[in-house]
Amino acid sequence: MDWQAIIDALPSLGEGMAATLQLCAMAAICSLLWGALMAAALMRASRFWQRLLRVYSNITLALPLLVVIYLLYFVLPEYDITLSSPVVGVLALTLYYAPYIAQVIRAAIEALPKGQWEACRVLGLSRREQLRDVVLPQTLPQMLSPLVGLMIGLIKDSALLSIVSVQEFMYAAKQAISETYAPLEIYLTVALCYWLLNSLLDWLARHFEFRMTRYRRGMQHE
Amino acid sequence: MGLDQQVLAALPELGRGLLMTLLLTVLASLVSVVMGQLGCFLQLRRAWIWRTFGRLYVSLMRGTPAIVQLFVVFFTLPKLGLGGQPLLAAVLAIGLNSGAYVAEILRVNRRLVTHGQLEAARTLGLNRLLTWWYVINPQVLRASLPMLVNEFTILLKTTPLASVVALTELTFAGQIVIARTYEATQVLLLVAAGYLLIALPLTTLARRLEAKRRPA
Repeated sequence: MDWQAIIDALPSLGEGMAATLQLCAMAAICSLLWGALMAAALMRASRFWQRLLRVYSNITLALPLLVVIYLLYFVLPEYDITLSSPVVGVLALTLYYAPYIAQVIRAAIEALPKGQWEACRVLGLSRREQLRDVVLPQTLPQMLSPLVGLMIGLIKDSALLSIVSVQEFMYAAKQAISETYAPLEIYLTVALCYWLLNSLLDWLARHFEFRMTRYRRGMQHE
Repeated sequence: MGLDQQVLAALPELGRGLLMTLLLTVLASLVSVVMGQLGCFLQLRRAWIWRTFGRLYVSLMRGTPAIVQLFVVFFTLPKLGLGGQPLLAAVLAIGLNSGAYVAEILRVNRRLVTHGQLEAARTLGLNRLLTWWYVINPQVLRASLPMLVNEFTILLKTTPLASVVALTELTFAGQIVIARTYEATQVLLLVAAGYLLIALPLTTLARRLEAKRRPA
């Protein structure tokens, strides 16, 4: 093990990690919004839109992310749409993860018994009260762990963006390797960092899920 | 939209890439099932050291990007005297990665085998290996089949990573053709169609198997 190479690479790796975190936060927000919108459309929009969205979901389920990235990266400029590579990265991750997110949200909401919606109507709750007081408190804990699983997948897949030279963590690692000539050491460090980050997220998800479902355990003691 | 003449001429090249992708998928799936069995076996051992090994394997493979794993394998192999073989590196890395997910699938379905069955097997004089082969495996594998087919579709979607270690599978073949013809859109759409060609039957199969397993 060449420890000196790892130490030398740490500052630039740190910068790369910051870029990855920024990139993933953007992609996470965009894909959650787009996914929520898709979920709403899948439940309420006209049949035409539903069918269109389903075709889109099926295609993303079957295509490798790298091919999606290349498609956006090479095809958009041919139609005179030039986006910077980080924007293409966020766009690719958003388009790729939104269908999965939509499925999770839809499944959680459709799992609510129909009687609850009817009860809300009977009690005269507004749409906002329905969502805030009845739907979300029950569906959020259900969605949390699959959604965090998807976010961990998103973070892992963001490493692919280094291939189209988005300057994130993996890219910083490649830069560092070209300076230190110690690929194995650097890549092991990179793996460790991703692992720690994802383990932290996993732990947080479990912690919050436990807290958010306290009301259920409370009822069991009655 | 007709295909460009040069792209048409490159179709056999893309076809060979598709075959390499298929080969890689099949070989990596085999590694993945073996590693999955091993990972599941280790996690269910009573001794904490084996359990920790099993859990660490699953956690590491699920917590780090596949591309990083591929590079780690690719740069470790030369130290074992197996350098310069991109196919071997890709099969090992992708198989190891997917094996962690297979281990989890098998572990969940392992619950189907009740304690009584294991005791019965023991009473009948089956040793551990025979119990695994004749009692546990048929039940667990059958129950896991839809999820396993699903997992192999996901595995297929990680194979383009092999292009970063210069294995001429479908995506890399596409890149080579693009570099020569500058027809990015057409070539990439052909590449995408190639993946759909393999993936769509797999996803349909998974859905059928899933439906079959849930009788009304």
